[in-house]
This record gives sequence, C-alpha cells and structure tokens, in this order.
Amino acid sequence: MIELQTVTKRYGSLTAVDRISFSVGQGEYFALLGPNGAGKTTIVKMLLDFTRPTAGTLSVNGISSKEPACRANVGYLAENPRIPPNLTGWQYLQRCAKLLGIQRSEAIDQSGKIVELIGMKGREHTKASTYSRGMIQRFGLGAALIGNPKLLILDEPVSGLDPIGIREIRQLLESLKQQGMTILLNSHLLSEVEKICDTAAIINNGKLLVKDSISSIIKDGETLEDVFVRLVKG
Amino acid sequence: METPKTNSIVLTIAKYAFVDEVRQKSMIVLFILSTLSVLLLRQCYKGDYMVNGQALSADAIALTLSKVAFHVIAAGAMFIAALLTMRVYKRDRDEGTLSCILAKPIDRWQYITGKILGLWALSMLFMFILHSIVFFISSLSMKTLVSAYLIAFLICSLNLLFVILAVFLLSLMLPDIAAFLCAVVIGIVSLTVNGIYSFSQSQMGQAMMQQSTEQVSSGLTWWKAIYYSWPNVFGTQYLATSLIGNGGVPIYPLINVLLYCLILGVLLFVRFRHEDIV
Repeated sequence: MIELQTVTKRYGSLTAVDRISFSVGQGEYFALLGPNGAGKTTIVKMLLDFTRPTAGTLSVNGISSKEPACRANVGYLAENPRIPPNLTGWQYLQRCAKLLGIQRSEAIDQSGKIVELIGMKGREHTKASTYSRGMIQRFGLGAALIGNPKLLILDEPVSGLDPIGIREIRQLLESLKQQGMTILLNSHLLSEVEKICDTAAIINNGKLLVKDSISSIIKDGETLEDVFVRLVKG
Repeated sequence: METPKTNSIVLTIAKYAFVDEVRQKSMIVLFILSTLSVLLLRQCYKGDYMVNGQALSADAIALTLSKVAFHVIAAGAMFIAALLTMRVYKRDRDEGTLSCILAKPIDRWQYITGKILGLWALSMLFMFILHSIVFFISSLSMKTLVSAYLIAFLICSLNLLFVILAVFLLSLMLPDIAAFLCAVVIGIVSLTVNGIYSFSQSQMGQAMMQQSTEQVSSGLTWWKAIYYSWPNVFGTQYLATSLIGNGGVPIYPLINVLLYCLILGVLLFVRFRHEDIV
C-alpha cells in the first residue's frame, strides 16, 4: 500500500529524513513513532506531496506520491486540523465531499453517518468558531473518512481529546481496521499505539531505528515506551 | 473513489474562493461603501457647468462624468482586487483549507486556477455592479445607451486578472501587506509613466521636445522605455475609457497587460509547484 525507498529530505544543511525505506501492507495498522523533530511529519508530508523528497521515491498503491491520483483513496488528518471558522462542521464535511467529486445526495448520506460515527450529532450545524479543539479534531477525522478511503493517514489523531474521546476514537479506528482499512498513525501516545497497532517504525534524527511488528519490538517485561526510550536514547 | 474531473474540481475551488470572500465582513463593508459613493455621483449629473463662459450640454456633462467615474471605478476595483487577493493564500494555509484540498487527488495547478478564477469572478462582479450604476445614470442623462461600456468593462477586467496574479504570486514570497503594497507601487508607476507618456504625445509635449535640450529629450525617452516595459494597467484603462469617448488610444497597453498576465500565470504555477505546504 505504502512504499518508501531510500527517501531523503534535506532542508539546507539539515537532514530531516535520512535514506529511510519501509513499506506498509494492505490492511495494516502502522505506527510511525519518534521524538519531536524526528522526521515523522516530514514523511507524512512527502507521502501527500506537500513537500518533495531530496532523493528516493514514495508511492501509494504503486502510484508515485508526485501524482495526485495516488491520493484518490487516502484520507488525511493533520496534526493540528483546522476548520474555517465561518463554516459549520456539516458544511466542512460537504465541502470535502464536493472536492472529491461526490454527488450531493451521496455526500449528505455519508456526512450523516460520519457525524454519528465521530460522536458529533447535534453539533454539526454550529459554526466551527465555537468548537473546542477536541471537536475540531473529531470533524477533522470525519473529513478524512469522507469518500470511504482505503488508506488513512493520521497525524496525532487523539491530541486535544479527553480520555473518553481518546477511547471513542480508538474504538472507531479499530472498527475501521476490521473493515480492511490501512492506517498510518503518527502518534506520541505509545500506550495507545501498543494497544491498537500491528506494526511500528521508530525513527530518530531522520534515521530508521527499527521497523517490525509490535510484538517483535517489545521484549519480555518491557512496554513500548521502554523500547522507545531505549532506542532513542541509546 | 474516482479522481474527480478537472473542470468540476477547478470550478468547485473557484466557487468556494468566491463564497469565502463574500462571507468576509470587510468585503461587505467595502461593497456597501463603494456602491454608496457611486450612487452619490447621480447629483453631479444634474449640475450646471460652465467652461470659458459657455454652459456645457447635458450630453457633454454625462460623457465627461462617465469617463471620470469609469476611471475611478476601474482603479478602485484594482485596489479592491489586490486587497481581496493578498490574504487568500495565508488564510487558506492558516485555516487548513490548503492542506485539506491538496491532501485530495487535486493537482496544485487546479487549486491555483480555481482560486484565481474565483477571485477574478468576484472582482469582476464587484466592478460590474459599480459600472452598471454609472452606466444607467449616464444612459438616463444622455437618453441613449452607451454600448461601449461593456467592451470597456471587459478590457478593464484584464487589469483585475493582472493584479490578482501579481498579488497572489507575491504573497507566496512576501508578507501579505508587502504583496499588496508592491501591487500599489506597480499601479502608481504605471499611472505616472502614462501621464508622462501622454504629455510627450501632446502638442505641448512635442513642441517642448523640439525646443528642448538633449537632456529633456533623453529623459522623455527613458520614460518611454518604462512605458513600454512596465505593466501598463493604466494604459489599458485609458484605452478602455477611450472607447466610451472618442477613441484614438494605442492598443499596445492591452497587449502589454495580456503578456504580463501570461508571464505571471506561468511564474505562479511554477512557484506554487515547488511550494512546501505547511
């Protein structure tokens, strides 16, 4: 589904991503882990062609990330999702649907289901300027789900959510995984990642430290957090 | 999920660019103030004017006022187009619209084309409404329809496209207010150069050049070079206004602005293709 081949990204003298290669298979629940500034968001941005790699190639479904077609079945939730303040959550979802070329009736149908799925029923017709960060996060996730994508790229999907919200989103993501959706998760919440992800890659200073299944990464008696700290500090 | 069709996606982005601007309070205030100012012109058409002791006819008054109003509206519309455009990119980036659009199977040129079309349509509509008011006032005063108004309006709309492209391109590289000020400077230089060029073409200017020293002549030649190379938005405006009156203005400024639009369009697409989306 996702393929990175010796991808490098430099900003002047700074190497944000250094010859990273890995792949994410269909239906996999994949976590991209690393401390702040490790290069996780840069990888996500390169996958979405928000920025071009200095060297190497990235592809989604065999299509180069440089081609807009590679994003045809991709839903994306940004690290700090924002909604234009003069729009309601509902209007935002409708816009996203329209931009994907979805017919009006289908867009209304999908938006209705998504509003329930993200737990925002009853708040969808109020202006985004009145939403809390957690609510914007939910609508951002809802927008990523419009068009029934096969791949979800989520950058810190639970930031700004309360513990109940985190649990709800986790359950939602688990149900999406059961439907066969591939999920690339960029998160700092290692305990959450440990609970729900199949595989993970840990990167630091732009370099790939490990990429394996969660069960293989975690040794006896350790938690993912222990492994993370050991690898990043060590 | 299918990749959406190019035309429909560009039109959708254009529609949202249009709607988002209309929703801005500053846009509504600008529109109301401009409309009221133009409506106040009605009183000017009813006055008695004397030139060299002779009263001007109602037709002459209406024609002169219409040309003046046309100039003011066309220049004002360029100013407003620059104001509308300067914040579009920054707002799209800050409100997450940019990443929301480009995370979908939408090419960057589609985004730019949609935005430019939306802004152009809005500025044209703005200018059209103001021109329409003057058109009806002058048509009523002259008791005949000034048909050249529409062509003059269309010519001036090219200036709006130029301003939008220039400010959008500059806003990718500079703070929004700096992009706006650059557009204002382009306009002021164009106005000045056109004034000097018009003077050099007048009888008085020609006579001065024949009698003057080499220094004055070379000075005027220098301004002539700027006239031909600088974005000639006011030259285009003079050309448009001349259609309402008696004509006789060279077509060169129109070609100049058209060429600049093409160049700026290409630069904008190339620049935006390499822009990092944050």
